[in-house]
This record gives sequence, C-alpha cells and structure tokens, in this order.
Amino acid sequence: MVTTDVAVKFTLNGIPMERDVPPNWTLLRFLRDGLGFTGTKCGCEIGECGACTVIFNGEAVNACLVLAPQIDGASIWTIEGVASSGRKLHPIQQAFVECDAVHCGFCSPGMVMSTVALLLHNRIPSNAVLKESLAGNLCRCTGYLQIIEAVRKAAESMDDMHLEKFRR
Amino acid sequence: MKEQDTINPSSLRQALAAKARPNLVVVAGGTDILVQLHDRVDRPWPKLLVLDGIKALGKITLHDDFVTIGPNVTFSEIESSPIIGKYAPQLAQAASVAGSVQIRNRATIGGNVANASPAGDLIPPLYVLGATLELLSVRTKRSMPIEKFFVGPGKTVLKSNELITAIRISKVKRIGFFLRLGTRQALAISKVSVAAALMIKSGIILDVKIALGAVAPTVIRAGVAEELLRGNRLDAKLIDHAAEAASKEARPIDDIRSVAAYRKEMVGILLKRGLTKILESM
Ligand SMILES: Cc1cc2nc3c(=O)[nH]c(=O)nc-3n(C[C@H](O)[C@H](O)[C@H](O)COP(=O)(O)OP(=O)(O)OC[C@H]3O[C@@H](n4cnc5c(N)ncnc54)[C@H](O)[C@@H]3O)c2cc1C
Repeated sequence: MVTTDVAVKFTLNGIPMERDVPPNWTLLRFLRDGLGFTGTKCGCEIGECGACTVIFNGEAVNACLVLAPQIDGASIWTIEGVASSGRKLHPIQQAFVECDAVHCGFCSPGMVMSTVALLLHNRIPSNAVLKESLAGNLCRCTGYLQIIEAVRKAAESMDDMHLEKFRR
Repeated sequence: MKEQDTINPSSLRQALAAKARPNLVVVAGGTDILVQLHDRVDRPWPKLLVLDGIKALGKITLHDDFVTIGPNVTFSEIESSPIIGKYAPQLAQAASVAGSVQIRNRATIGGNVANASPAGDLIPPLYVLGATLELLSVRTKRSMPIEKFFVGPGKTVLKSNELITAIRISKVKRIGFFLRLGTRQALAISKVSVAAALMIKSGIILDVKIALGAVAPTVIRAGVAEELLRGNRLDAKLIDHAAEAASKEARPIDDIRSVAAYRKEMVGILLKRGLTKILESM
C-alpha cells in the first residue's frame, strides 16, 4: 500500500507553514482536521453553500473545492486571522454584530470572508454588486437584510488599512 | 492495493509525460471533479494530475488573427479580460453569470469544455465563436473545431494521453449574446441557454451562428434558424420565425432541472430576447 503525502509550503493568516498533506484531502478538511482551524465551517462540501469560504491568493474560494496539495505556494486567510489580535474584532465583524447579522452563526465566517474579498476588490460596491458577491453564501436563518446592511456599514465606515494584510 | 498519489507538475512537458500513464484523473480548478469524487473521499482514490501549477496554461494571448485562451484561465479572468470583452463578449457574459464568485475564481474554461456537460455555460459561446481546441499528447498534436469534440453528456474524443492545451477564437468582430435560465441567478446550472454571434451590415445579416445549451446530449447549433436569418434583414417578423425554428430544433429531455416542453419554448424566447435587443440597438 502506498500513501504518499504531499509536501506543501503556504502562508496561513500571514504565518508561513510547511506541512505534509494527504493527497485526497480538501483544503477544508486540512484546515479543520489537520490544523484544528474549525472556524471555517463544513456545510455542503460541494461548493453550494459558501460556509467554507476562505481567501486564497486574494480571492474568495470554497475550501471544500480546493485540494490540499493545490495550496502549495498560496496565501490563505481564514476567519481566525481576520481580527488582528486579542479581543478586538475586525471592523467587518463588528459591523456584523452591530447590525444583528449573526443569527445561528454558522454562515457568518463564510459571509465575513466573502465580505473581505468583495471590499478588497471594490471599496464602494453598488447594491447589485454587493448582493452578487454574497450570492455564493447561503444563510439558512435568512438574515440576508441584516447581512447586507452589515456589509454596507463596514464598507462605509472602515479604514483601508483594515484590508491591507489580506492582500499579502 | 490502495494507491494514492498526486502529480503536481510545473511544466506542460512534465504534465504530458505523466498523462501518458493510464488511469490518471486531471484536476484543474476542481469544481467539477471534487464534487464527483466527494463521495469517495475515504475510499481508494484515483491518481491525480493537478494542472494549476502550470502557469503557461493560464494565459490569454493576442495574436495577429486569433486569441488563445489557456485551459487554466478561470471564469473570473475571462469575465474581467479586456481582450475577451472585445473579441468574445458572449464568452465574458457566460463566465460572469455562472456559479458564484467562489466558483468563478476556481472554475476554468478547460475544465468546462472537458467536463462536456450539455449545460456547460462556456460551450455555447465557444460554438458561435467558431473556437478551435488544441489537443496535445507527449507525441501528437491535433486541432479540431469545438463542435467535433463532444460525443455525448460527459463524453468527448479526448484520448487518455491527451490534454486540452489551448482554445483559439478568431479575431473577426461580431456582435452577439449569451442568455440562460436557471432556478436562481447564482449557483444554478442552466436549464436552457442560447448563444449567438452575428455579422450585420446595413441591417442585413451577413453571417450568423446560434448555439443551444442543455437541450440535447451535447450543445447543438440551431442550423435551421441560422439559415432563416442569413442574408436577410433583421426585423421583428424574421426574429419570430427564427425563434420558432430554434424551438423546434431543440431536442430536450425531462430531468431534475426542468422539463422538455419548457426548455423547448424557452429556447425560442431567449433567442427572441437576444435578437430583439440587437435590433433595438441598430
Ligand atoms: C456550486 C457549483 C456551481 C456551478 N455552476 C456552474 C454554472 O453556472 N455553469 C457552468 O457551466 N458550470 C458550473 N459549475 C461546474 C464547474 O464549475 C465548471 O464546469 C468548471 O468550468 C469546471 O472547471 P474546473 O477547472 O473546476 O474543472 P475540474 O473539476 O478541475 O475538471 C473538470 C473535468 O475536466 C478535466 N480537465 C480539466 N482540465 C483539463 C485539460 N486541460 N485537459 C483535459 N481535461 C481537463 C478534468 O479531468 C475533469 O474531468 C458549477 C459547479 C459547482 C460546484
């Protein structure tokens, strides 16, 4: 029996890492079961729900549809890396709290990561662009109005410097 | 024997050499293949050949007479490319409505073509643009019009040692559109789609290609509707005739996504919508 793990080098939330990953693991499984980063949620595992959204080289992707061996050389940001340190929330997270955009909370990490990706590309998104950017994230509590309000609030009130690190 | 391995080449040469071995599954963006393999995660896995490390396959290049699109180019890259916007607006439109942001950031044009779904959204635009595929193996190189590539749902003429290495479209400027219907706007596979490319001079349609998605085992051309339009002046009555003809040409089935009767009717409606918009803009 041959089981060869694949050696990968990558950056997770700004921290360089080197690991051997099972070839048939997805990035989602690697984050949760390999590294214990359980903030990235496991929903449908087929790209439909967006609960596992992470930033991959500056773009939102579903971690369930990236193979772990494909992360070699990549920079990845997960919800654990969004707040800078300690107890202070990132302005996007703060906006979600203030707008009551968190109901059961399961979709929230993915929603926040999609918001980061949106604002990285478009600091003043129109309503149409905003909705389209979140169309790949499902909220089963259907708190969409509050979520949209939170994204708008974050877009309007946040300083650019809060997005800088995600570009790296 | 359980064999797990992943080949992660950084050059096309290495990839083709690897592809000479049998039973190797190619992964580009993974948005089709990982869904297909999802249920097998804890069972023996195929050997995987991961293509996304090959930078040379991820470029859009402008030549004198044609544009080359590498198979690894993503939907997001197609959507935002000024070259594609200029020479293949149908393709840009299709890329921008498929999946979700997350899917478009990973899904590739090569994967869309190789997956050979009759509902693959980039395929009807590639038909009407007269796209040519380049297929390479370690020792052979062949090109073919995209329409010759598909045999049936998920079935193509690609040999086990070959890769799609380029997609070429001519730089002839045509106007056109891509329209589709799904259950919702995001994250819904097309129930029916229509793409068209037209050359119109002084109101007369000099040339036209129409392709229909999700209404036959492969994407098909609407040859009868094209024939009706070619050489004639675009007006409301002609549009109605062409829409009716295209509707008849569709050979859809009932399946989980829709029913045949609806699909047939919507082919005509979508073609009419697209052509009417062109008429209004003239
Ligand atoms: C949630 C979701 C929504 C989706 N929505 C849409 C949609 O709206 N419209 C649409 O058209 N599709 C949609 N898809 C399907 C999929 O995203 C597309 O078909 C995509 O283009 C596949 O590309 P990929 O790079 O991810 O392919 P992969 O999964 O990597 O590969 C697909 C197939 O192509 C083969 N392959 C890939 N590259 C090559 C190559 N260069 N040479 C030979 N063979 C190759 C692979 O072996 C595999 O068989 C969706 C998928 C998901 C999960």
